[in-house]
Amino acid sequence: MAVIERGVKNAHSASTIKQSPLVRTLGAAVAALPAYQNTYADAPPEFTEVGLRYSHYSEDSLSEDKFIAGARGRYDIDVTQLWIEAPIGSNWSIAVDVQNDSMSGASPWFVGTQVDGQPGVIMSGASIYDNRVEVGATTRYFWADGNAGFNVTHSKEDDYEALAMAFDVAWNSADNARTWSASASTSNDRVEPVNGNIPVFIDQEDIDTASVYFGVSQILSSTAIVRIGLGYTFSEGYLSDPYKLFDARPDEHSRTALSGGYRKFFPEAQGALQIDYRYYSDDWGTDSHTAEVAWHQSFDRFALTPYLRYYSQREADFFSVIADLEQDFYADDFRLSSYGAITVGLRSTVQIGDWQMEGQLERYESDNDWGLYDGEAAPALVNFWRATIGISWRFD
Amino acid sequence: MLNFTVYVTKALGGLLVCILFSAGVHSSPSSKQDALPAPHFSLPAIANTEGAISLDAFKGSVTYVDFWASWCGPCRLSLPALDAIYRDLAPKGLKVMAISVDVVEEDAWDFLARYPVTYPIAIDTEGSVPKAYAVNGMPSGYLIDREGRVRAVHVGFKRGDEDALRAEILQLLEE
Amino acid sequence: MHCALKFCSYWRSKRLEAFRFVVLCAVMGVAGCSGLEPVAAWERGYLAEEGMQWQSSAREAKFEGHVYTSKEASSGGNGAAGGGCGCN
Repeated sequence: MAVIERGVKNAHSASTIKQSPLVRTLGAAVAALPAYQNTYADAPPEFTEVGLRYSHYSEDSLSEDKFIAGARGRYDIDVTQLWIEAPIGSNWSIAVDVQNDSMSGASPWFVGTQVDGQPGVIMSGASIYDNRVEVGATTRYFWADGNAGFNVTHSKEDDYEALAMAFDVAWNSADNARTWSASASTSNDRVEPVNGNIPVFIDQEDIDTASVYFGVSQILSSTAIVRIGLGYTFSEGYLSDPYKLFDARPDEHSRTALSGGYRKFFPEAQGALQIDYRYYSDDWGTDSHTAEVAWHQSFDRFALTPYLRYYSQREADFFSVIADLEQDFYADDFRLSSYGAITVGLRSTVQIGDWQMEGQLERYESDNDWGLYDGEAAPALVNFWRATIGISWRFD
Repeated sequence: MLNFTVYVTKALGGLLVCILFSAGVHSSPSSKQDALPAPHFSLPAIANTEGAISLDAFKGSVTYVDFWASWCGPCRLSLPALDAIYRDLAPKGLKVMAISVDVVEEDAWDFLARYPVTYPIAIDTEGSVPKAYAVNGMPSGYLIDREGRVRAVHVGFKRGDEDALRAEILQLLEE
Repeated sequence: MHCALKFCSYWRSKRLEAFRFVVLCAVMGVAGCSGLEPVAAWERGYLAEEGMQWQSSAREAKFEGHVYTSKEASSGGNGAAGGGCGCN
């Protein structure tokens, strides 16, 4: 008679329902698509899921020594995400995502020189308020070796409207150890700046964007996986920022991003190491490196994931701290300057029966000195903190 | 840019049509001549029966051997579906045994607490039995006839797969 | 097709020389991956762990992408570009 072995107590909670073991779509490949990324390519989700997330994003006020005029308080954004994802029949799934962004705050209008010779920011005046609503739907088809999804997303805010479509497909190799993925998307946007407290010089302009991505992920061992991907995005239209006084950008923008990721599980520790990297380069002169490291620690009923992100970008060719109006193209937007940024955060998830709760808190700080590239320091670099809570429910 | 959008729409429409014609993972019972004998095994039971479970004990009956794990997503559907078939067809002589391939037995217990079934469950933490059966995906189910030959293999599970399995079992029960 | 021509000329531009080399190495690395020891279907339990997924949650990934795309100059690396916004 065989002796029944009692295994070592597994810290991983039984009610944390694990997803299918086979590595499927490149998660990151379809991250920008509203939802619908399943980690299994050959079957729809077993259960219907509804969820709600609320996030609060708050930028630090512009510091006194960088401020010339306007309102010092920067953006506060409340984001609510609501979704439902359900299997349909044995081969399909559908997901609907609704997102509401409620924004208020001032933003940099242009950069000038202070009395002491230092550059300073003239901000927009009294706080702007705007609300953006985004609705997206994705249908996904599953077959033995893969899945394909089609998404349509529409977003609308006071001065901006966008309609995007995306198609993605993932398929497994014969031994299910490699998953290929590809996606293509387009977005047609229209900007119609509202004549608020900043004078604007355009009525209505269009921006069209097309993007493709191709990637592969590979199982390295029973505890490790790796992925690599290449994406290309092309935009044309009115690409300048209509709310900046001195901002004239080219009407075409080519962007390439090479990304990779690695996950390694440590059974003794019941934890997983997560590493992600992206190199980005575009034809406006900006290059950047993004590196993220996280440790996912499982406990009995919950998990904690502290994470760290480092980002460094090179300034665009036509960027200068104070816009150089002699050039064909010019911008003083801090987002086109050279700087480095660090994000420190903590994510937690709890699984109780069919319910899952999440909470996340992170702090982002940027500084010209932290970057890898040379370039002048833009005075309007932003720091922010962000908190998120969410709840979701899976049912039959 | 509008032309590009139209182009993309047409291209993906065509691709979707191609995908819709792809085949599934079903296999109807193979003929007696082609069927291979099911490998023997004996494993410790962890639920619904005592002692060891071995394939030999079920010789002469139609048997379904199901490989599952606590980490297998589709198993959350396949175990209850298989249990429904078992409760209906056990009086007609069907035997079912499920083998968990969890490396930690506690995980299997926790899964069964959420998705209880009535058929015998064994555990193989070493992986020798799934290896002998050349398990190629999770879950994997092997339908074995009265002579001990594997007549059908079901890899993966989607809602509705249980209907085809039930039909195959009924067919073998009549042999 | 306009988009494809743009990509070709951009790809061949001098500034992407180092980048092209890295991509070539990466592709060769992936192609050479066939020498790995296979992991059987029943041995993939650890790969199903919550911490072993490529993204913690689809909605979190979408949210983060949105924040960083509107506050930094880089975008992509995540596949398809979603709809834009008037993010300032």
